[in-house]
Amino acid sequence: MIVIKDELNSLPIKTYRWLNVNHLKLDERIEKDRKPFCKRFFEEMDDDNISIGSINNIVTINQHLSRINNEKQEYGVSGKMVDMAENFNNAGVYAYIKKGADIEKPIRIEYGMDRENDVVIDNNIIVASENSRATIVVDYCTLDDIDAFHNGAMKIYAKPGAAVTVIKIQRMNDNSNHFDSNIAVVEDGAEVNFIQVEFGSKRAVTNYISNLKDGGKSAIYSIYIGNRDRELDLSYYMNHIGRRSISNIEVKGALKDRAKKVFKGTIDFKLGSSKSEGREGESVIIFDKTVKSKAVPLLLCTEDDVKGEHAASSGKIDEDKLFYIMSRGFSKEEAMKLIVEASFNPVIDRIPLEDLRDIVRDELARKLIVEERI
Amino acid sequence: MDVDISRKTYVEDIDRGIYDIRNEFKYSYKVEKGLTEKIVREISEKKNEPEWMTEFRLKSLEIYNKLDVPVWGPNIDELDIENIVTYVKPRTDMKYSWEDVPEDIKETFTRLGIPEAEHKSLAGVGAQYDSEVVYHNLKDYLAMKGVIYTDMETAVREYEDIIKKHFMTVVPPSDHKFAALHGAVWSGGSFVYIPEGVHVDIPLQSYFRLNAPGAGQFEHTLIIVEKGAFLHFIEGCSAPKYSVNNLHAGCVELIVKEGARLRYSTIENWSKNMYNLNTKRAVVEKDGTIEWVSGSFGSKVSMLYPMSILKGERARAEFTGITFAGNGQHLDTGAKVVHTAPYTTSSINTKSISKDGGVAVYRGALVITENAHHSKSTVSCESLMLDNKSRSDTIPVMDIRNDEVDIGHEAKIGRISDEAIFYLMSRGISEEEAKAMIVRGFVEPIAKELPLEYAVEMNNLIKLELEGTIG
Repeated sequence: MIVIKDELNSLPIKTYRWLNVNHLKLDERIEKDRKPFCKRFFEEMDDDNISIGSINNIVTINQHLSRINNEKQEYGVSGKMVDMAENFNNAGVYAYIKKGADIEKPIRIEYGMDRENDVVIDNNIIVASENSRATIVVDYCTLDDIDAFHNGAMKIYAKPGAAVTVIKIQRMNDNSNHFDSNIAVVEDGAEVNFIQVEFGSKRAVTNYISNLKDGGKSAIYSIYIGNRDRELDLSYYMNHIGRRSISNIEVKGALKDRAKKVFKGTIDFKLGSSKSEGREGESVIIFDKTVKSKAVPLLLCTEDDVKGEHAASSGKIDEDKLFYIMSRGFSKEEAMKLIVEASFNPVIDRIPLEDLRDIVRDELARKLIVEERI
Repeated sequence: MDVDISRKTYVEDIDRGIYDIRNEFKYSYKVEKGLTEKIVREISEKKNEPEWMTEFRLKSLEIYNKLDVPVWGPNIDELDIENIVTYVKPRTDMKYSWEDVPEDIKETFTRLGIPEAEHKSLAGVGAQYDSEVVYHNLKDYLAMKGVIYTDMETAVREYEDIIKKHFMTVVPPSDHKFAALHGAVWSGGSFVYIPEGVHVDIPLQSYFRLNAPGAGQFEHTLIIVEKGAFLHFIEGCSAPKYSVNNLHAGCVELIVKEGARLRYSTIENWSKNMYNLNTKRAVVEKDGTIEWVSGSFGSKVSMLYPMSILKGERARAEFTGITFAGNGQHLDTGAKVVHTAPYTTSSINTKSISKDGGVAVYRGALVITENAHHSKSTVSCESLMLDNKSRSDTIPVMDIRNDEVDIGHEAKIGRISDEAIFYLMSRGISEEEAKAMIVRGFVEPIAKELPLEYAVEMNNLIKLELEGTIG
């Protein structure tokens, strides 16, 4: 039995209680047990510049971790959920990229949940040494008609000058739970980009933090679809610690039926982060009057010499565009799908693997056209 | 020309001059410190109130004891209600002529320019000193049209039916702990009633002055603007500084009926020992308009978020606010709008400046309910940081439950841009003047919404004193 009695995705600064956005309160028992995940979930890499292995190989990890400065910091969906992922996991990948290495081939991790393996509790650690470059693609999906459970954590250490791109795709089925915690330590002159596709699960609670040191850069490009009775609680935090750090949060979504979504995006300029710039934007296309869409874009600032901006917009799909496409012989659902796809495409195009791009586009069509017809 | 343009602009603290002149603390009656049923009964008795109001107060006290303090917002631990005197009656009854007001109290209001403003540009004036209104007057021609402008105590006696029907229905005592406190110990304030179709051409003004140290002010303002009527109401507040903490927990309830328009302007300039935990709310019916203009300059801690409930079709709300937080101040301000009817529109426009360790927070809420299709809302918040000792946060929440909406929100934070200064300097303007121009330009959209006297006052308040080299 997995018991979640917790406050998740707490806002860094609380506000009015009647709006119910300070945290997501859960009190649930999930009839699942933690059991081994007996499937291969990552591809071996034929490259001397990278060592990759299962997180359970403690010896290798400790060897490597002693080399990085492992700063303790609270992160993630909640302390308890991160604790579960870090200390009671059944899967996870540890990847170490050597200094100056440019790994062109994306590191591919796939947690495909099936009848025998319906619980994934994963702990992933990515260490990108000085001036190295790598892309990691993680895919969470359900292969059978099951109610799967996923709770994961990922720590990304980008050493000075390193550039890491992490792509996370979540397309679990409508009976599943998805919890995901991520933290990136972006050292001097390093860059971490986080691309997130949230298309699945009954409930998705995700959390991402970037700690930006001098000259660190970080961007989040996120797309989500909420349909039927799905619930999304998405939290992003750009923590500007160093000078001249740059952040960008761009979130786009589409909400249908009775879906509920809470977006929490924070840009925090800490004292000492002078000459930094942060930007965040969220835009939602709302299809039905039965959806619930909440947005909390926070801008926190204790440094004067910075530039921060946020913008949020929500509204109905553009009627003129819809009419034009329909006049060309497309059905209304197809026209809507095309408009959403056009807005999501810049993010989908960032996925470096063609098969995954196709999967994501198919999934989008399925959510907006096929499920519409069922 | 050798100029270091990255040097900090120094914006002087608001000159409090006249506001800080305190009178000797004289009173005819006051209750003990703290809050008990005995004290609440005593206040009600002194005011000779009807039974229902005494009951209302006691019920509010009960709610007060049950509720906890907000878990969010500024730290108010230092505020100890056991040390606050909730009721201080000045040594005078309410007068209708300044001649009859005791000399020292009259002097205070004269220094604040109230009688002069009344003479020149106001339709009516109410002046509250500590817990009671000491002066109230309305121009005859408006009284002839059926306009009512009086203190709340008189209203409870003379317009009992209206008050009983509306009192604390817009802001119920159960709203939050300090609304409950207000319900229990409220005293003073104004009641305004504008009959159908009456257009009050010049503003009414109430001024609240808290002179007693360690006291609380809990004035209640209730304004009803009937169908098609118009009113501009101005509220001013100030207090001299004492070493003990004072508390202001006022309550403003505004009822804007069909097609009516109410403009509510406030300049809060409390002293820096004041906890300003104020609640303001307007309910707007079909085709009605509420316009808030709100300036927050004073107080140690402010929690002030005027709320507009757009209840009728095509109702409109506009909020224009400026917050200036200096040393030792934590000003947590903002606006809340709830759209509950179709075709409603709202627009929120705020600016904040923080300097010298001050904390300025914009905290907002925008709710569009299932019923409010075709609603529109725009929110714009800008913050200016004048140094890196200060803090500035933007905490907006949007809760959208409808598809037929058009919502835009934007916020910006930053400091005076070097490029802008450089550009102006390249046109032959001195660095000091360039910086001053930029700050004036920053607050200008707000300043122009203020009544002229207030705009002039604000410009005086934000005087620029610039450090830096002259080339």
